[in-house]
Amino acid sequence: MARNRTFILYWLALVGFVLLPQLISVKYYIHLCVLALIWVIAAQGQNLIQGYTGYVSIVQAGFMGIGAYSTALMGMHFDLPVWLTIILAPFVTAFFALLTGYPSLRVKGHYFAIVTLAFNMVIFIVLMNFHDLTQGEAGITGIPKPGGKDALFNWRDRETYYYFVLIIAALMTGLAALIVRSRIGQILVAIRQNEDLVGAVGIAAWKYKLFAFVTSAMFAGLAGAIYAHYQSFINPEIFGIAQSLDAILAVIIGGSGTIAGPIIGAFFVVFLPEYLRFADSFRLILYGLVLVLATIFMPRGIAGIARDLMEKRRGRT
Amino acid sequence: MRLTALTAAMVMTAGAAWAEEKTLDIGVSDALTGGGAVYGLPQTNAVKLAAKEINASGGIKVGEDTYMLNVIAYDDKANPTEASNAVRKLIDRDGVKYILGFCCSGATGAVASFIEYEDAVMLVGNAAERSITTREIPNLTRTRPPADYTGAAAGTFVAEKGHKRVAVLGALDVGFYASYVDAFEKELEKAGGEIVSREAFGLKDRDMSPQLTKIRGQEPDAILVVGYVEPAAFIYRQAVELGIDVPRYGFTSGSEDQFTRVATSEQMEGVWDLRPTELTLLSASENGKAYHANYTEEFGIAPSPSSPYSYDQTYALKDAIEAAGTVEDTEAVAEALREIAVPDEVVMQYLPVDDKMFDENGQAYTSNGAFQWQGGNWVFVQDLPSDAAAYSAFLSTLDD
Amino acid sequence: MVEVLQQIINGIAIGGVYVLIALGLTTVFGILGIAHFAHGSVSMFGGYLTFFFVTSWGIPLLLAILIALLVGLVLGVLIELLAYRPVRDANHINAFIVALGLTMMVEGINLELFGHEQVVIPTDFSRVFNIGGVTIPELRLYVILAAALLIAAMTVFVERTKTGQAIRAVAENRDAAILMGVNVKTIPLVVFAISTALGVCAGVMVGSLFAIAPGIGEGLVVKGFAVLILGGLGSIPGAVVGGLVLGITEALAAGFISSAYKDVIAFVVMISVLLFRPQGLMGKA
Repeated sequence: MARNRTFILYWLALVGFVLLPQLISVKYYIHLCVLALIWVIAAQGQNLIQGYTGYVSIVQAGFMGIGAYSTALMGMHFDLPVWLTIILAPFVTAFFALLTGYPSLRVKGHYFAIVTLAFNMVIFIVLMNFHDLTQGEAGITGIPKPGGKDALFNWRDRETYYYFVLIIAALMTGLAALIVRSRIGQILVAIRQNEDLVGAVGIAAWKYKLFAFVTSAMFAGLAGAIYAHYQSFINPEIFGIAQSLDAILAVIIGGSGTIAGPIIGAFFVVFLPEYLRFADSFRLILYGLVLVLATIFMPRGIAGIARDLMEKRRGRT
Repeated sequence: MRLTALTAAMVMTAGAAWAEEKTLDIGVSDALTGGGAVYGLPQTNAVKLAAKEINASGGIKVGEDTYMLNVIAYDDKANPTEASNAVRKLIDRDGVKYILGFCCSGATGAVASFIEYEDAVMLVGNAAERSITTREIPNLTRTRPPADYTGAAAGTFVAEKGHKRVAVLGALDVGFYASYVDAFEKELEKAGGEIVSREAFGLKDRDMSPQLTKIRGQEPDAILVVGYVEPAAFIYRQAVELGIDVPRYGFTSGSEDQFTRVATSEQMEGVWDLRPTELTLLSASENGKAYHANYTEEFGIAPSPSSPYSYDQTYALKDAIEAAGTVEDTEAVAEALREIAVPDEVVMQYLPVDDKMFDENGQAYTSNGAFQWQGGNWVFVQDLPSDAAAYSAFLSTLDD
Repeated sequence: MVEVLQQIINGIAIGGVYVLIALGLTTVFGILGIAHFAHGSVSMFGGYLTFFFVTSWGIPLLLAILIALLVGLVLGVLIELLAYRPVRDANHINAFIVALGLTMMVEGINLELFGHEQVVIPTDFSRVFNIGGVTIPELRLYVILAAALLIAAMTVFVERTKTGQAIRAVAENRDAAILMGVNVKTIPLVVFAISTALGVCAGVMVGSLFAIAPGIGEGLVVKGFAVLILGGLGSIPGAVVGGLVLGITEALAAGFISSAYKDVIAFVVMISVLLFRPQGLMGKA
C-alpha cells in the first residue's frame, strides 16, 4: 500500500514537471528550472555516496567539471557528435573517480572529506593552469547544442532543453532508485550504519564504497556534460569547492538517504539564493543562517519532514 | 512599465503633455561582491552616475519622445553561471534590452556565448580577454582594448629601454594576462631580448617571495609584474625586501591608495605601469577631472582607474540610440553603435578607427601610457607606441 | 645553497601561519570531533577587528590585539553554545554542514563590516636583515618568533595545567574522563575559546605580514586541514610539523618545480603521506 502511494506521488510529480513550462510565463524561471534539473542529477549522485554510504565527498563539482570539459573537448578535437560525447563524458569521469577513489577510500570520516576536497582543488588548479587543453580561466565558448540548425527540435529554445534535461533527470532518478533498492544499495546502507560489521560478515566493503563513489562521479560527469551544452560556455570558476558544497547542501536540505530528497534539495539550492536577492548584501549571511537553522531543527531534510507529516495524517485517518 | 505609467500620469496631471517622457530600463551585470568587486562595483557606480547626468540634461531623445534612464543592477560575482542568470533575468523578466558593466572575463565570456541569439545589446567594460571581440558578435561592443594590444606596446617600450633579460611574475592562469605577456615577449624578442622565466601566482596568494627568490637567482635586467592590483602590490614590496634592485615594470592598473596600503612609497618608487591610459588625476582630461569630482561627491570614495569604461559605455549607448532613432529595435541600435564617433562626454582617451569609436569587431581602443611611481603618485610619463588601426586589422583576422 | 636556504626561510613564515590555524583546528577536532570549517573566516574576523581598532580608533597594536583576542574568546564560546552544541549528538555530517553555514555567515559579516578590498594591518617594521645573502624582513622574523612563542604556550597549557590535563583526558577517553570527574560541559567551551584565540593571532599575523581579503580565510582553512592530515588529526606536535612541512614544501615547489602547480604539489605530498602513513606523520598508529 505505502509503496503504491509513493509511486503515485512520483508520477504526480513527473506530470507536474511536464506541465511546469506551460505554467511559467517568464522564461527566466524556465532557465532556473533547467539548472535545477541538472543539479538533480548531480545531487542524486552525491546522495549515493553521502546519503546512503555515509561518506561526505567534496568533489562533486570537480567531477562535473571533468564531465563538462571532456564532452566539450572531445567534440572540439575528435569531431564527435554531441550525443556521443555526452554519453562518453560520464565514463571519462569514472576513470578519474577510480584513480582518486582508490586512495581516498582507504580513509574514513573527516579524512575522506578533506582528501576529496583536496582533489577538487587539484582539478580546479589544473583546469585553470593547463592552458593548452582547457584554455584556462577564459574558458571554452561556443559549445554546440545537441541538435544542429535544422534539427527536429529548436535546441536554442529553453523549453526544448528543459524537456531534454527532464527526461534524463527522471531516468537518472529512476536509476538511483534501482541501485538503492538492490542488494548493493542495502550493503551501502549497512556500510553507513556499521562498516566494521559489514567487513566482519565477509563482504569486501571497499568494492562497494568504490562502486558508490564512481557511480556518484558518473552522475556528476553527466550533469556537467549536459550543463556544458546548455550554457555553451564553461570555465573553471563553476567547478570549484563552493559548488561541491552546494551538492552536499542539496542532499542535506532535501533529505539525505531518500530518493525525493536530492530533487527537492536541488531546486532549493538553485532557487533559494534567487529569493534571498532582495536582501542583497546580506544574502550570504542569511543563506548561512538558513543552513545552520535547518541542520539544527530539521536534520532529516524536507523529505524527512514531509514523510513525518504524511505518516501523522495516515495515523489519524 | 509601472514606472512609465506613473511618470506619464504625473506629466498629464501637471498639464504638460507636449512630449511624452518615458523610462528606459538599462541593465548592469557586474561583480558587486567577491574578488571581482574591486572592478565591478565602481563600474556599476559609473553607469549610475552617467545615467543620472543624462537624465539631468534632458534624457535620451528619440523622435518626439524623451527617455529617462533607470538602472537595474545585478551582482554576477564575476562568476559565469551567476552572470548568465543575471542577464537572463534582465532580458526575460525585467524586459531590459541594453546591458552594461562586465568587468571580468570569465563572466563576460559566458554571456557573450549566447547574447547573439537574444534581442539585446551588450556593452562590455573592463573585461580584457581578447576572444570576447574576435567572434564579431553583432550586438556586442567593448570599451576596453584587449590585453595583448597593450602588451605589444609595453614590449616595445621595455625593449627600447635596453633590457635584454626580463623575468615575468604574473597571474598567468588568467587568459588575458597570459596574452599580454605573449604579445610583450614577441616585441621584446624582435629587439633581441628574451623572457628568462615565467612565474605564476594565484588571486589569493599574498606571499610571492618563493617566486621572487627564484627570479633573484636568475639575475634578470628587469622584472615584469602582470596581475590584479592586490597581490601585485605585495610583489613590489617583497622584491625590495629580497634585495632585487632591477627596474620593475607592471600591468596592474591600481590606484595610489591600493598600493600604499601594502607597500611604502619608497618601496614603490620607480615602478612602471604600462597600461591603457585609464583615469589618473595627473593625466586626466577635463572630462576626467569632472568625472573624478562628481563620482567622489556621489559615492564618497574616489573612482577606480578602470571605472570610466562603463561610464563611457553609457554615453556611447545614448548616442547610438539617438542615431538609430529607436529604443525598440536592438539590431538598429547595435548597428548604430558601430557607426558612432567618440562621444564628447567620454573620460578615456579613445583612438578612433576610421573615425568611429568601435571597429567592425565592436572593439574600441584607448591610447596606452607609461606611468611611473614618483614620490607617492602615478605620474604619466609618455604615450606608449600603439597602433589601433593595425591591431584592429589583426583582430579581424582572428575568429574563435 | 643560498637559494635553498632562502626558500626554507620563506616557507617557515607561511608555515608558521599554517601551524597556528592548524593548532586551533586540531584541538577542536581532537577533543570534539568537529571539522570546524568556519575557523579560517573567524580567524580573519579577528584580524579585521585588530585592523579596525588600529586604523579607526588609533589604539596601539598590542592593545588592539589583546582586545581582539578577548572578543575571539567570547566569539568561540558563542559558536560552541549556539551552533555546535545543538548538533553534538547527531551524525557528524550535521556538524560539518553547520560549519559550512557558519563559514558563509562569518564571511558575509566580514564583507558587510569591512568591505571587499584587502586590508593590511599597519606596523612600523620595515627593516630587512641580510645574513650571508639570505634576506629576512624584520616583520617576518617577528611573526615566526610569535608563532613559536604561541606554540610553546599552548604546549605548556595542555601539558602542565589542570584544565589542559582535563582536555587531554577527554580527548583520549571521554567516558573515563567523566568518571574521573571532568566537567565535560565546560571543556568544549574552553576548547573553542582557546582555538578561536589562536585563530585571532593567526589572523593578525596574516593581516600584518600579508593581507586580509574575502576568501583568504577559506583558503587558509583548507591548508589547515591539509596540515592536520599531514601531521595527524588531533595531534599538537603533528600540527607543528605538518604546518612547517607544508609551508616549506610550497616554497621549494614554487622555487624549483612550478609556481603554478605549487598547491597541487603540496596536495600530492599530503595524499602520499596518507597512502603510506594514514595516521599522519606524528599520529599514533
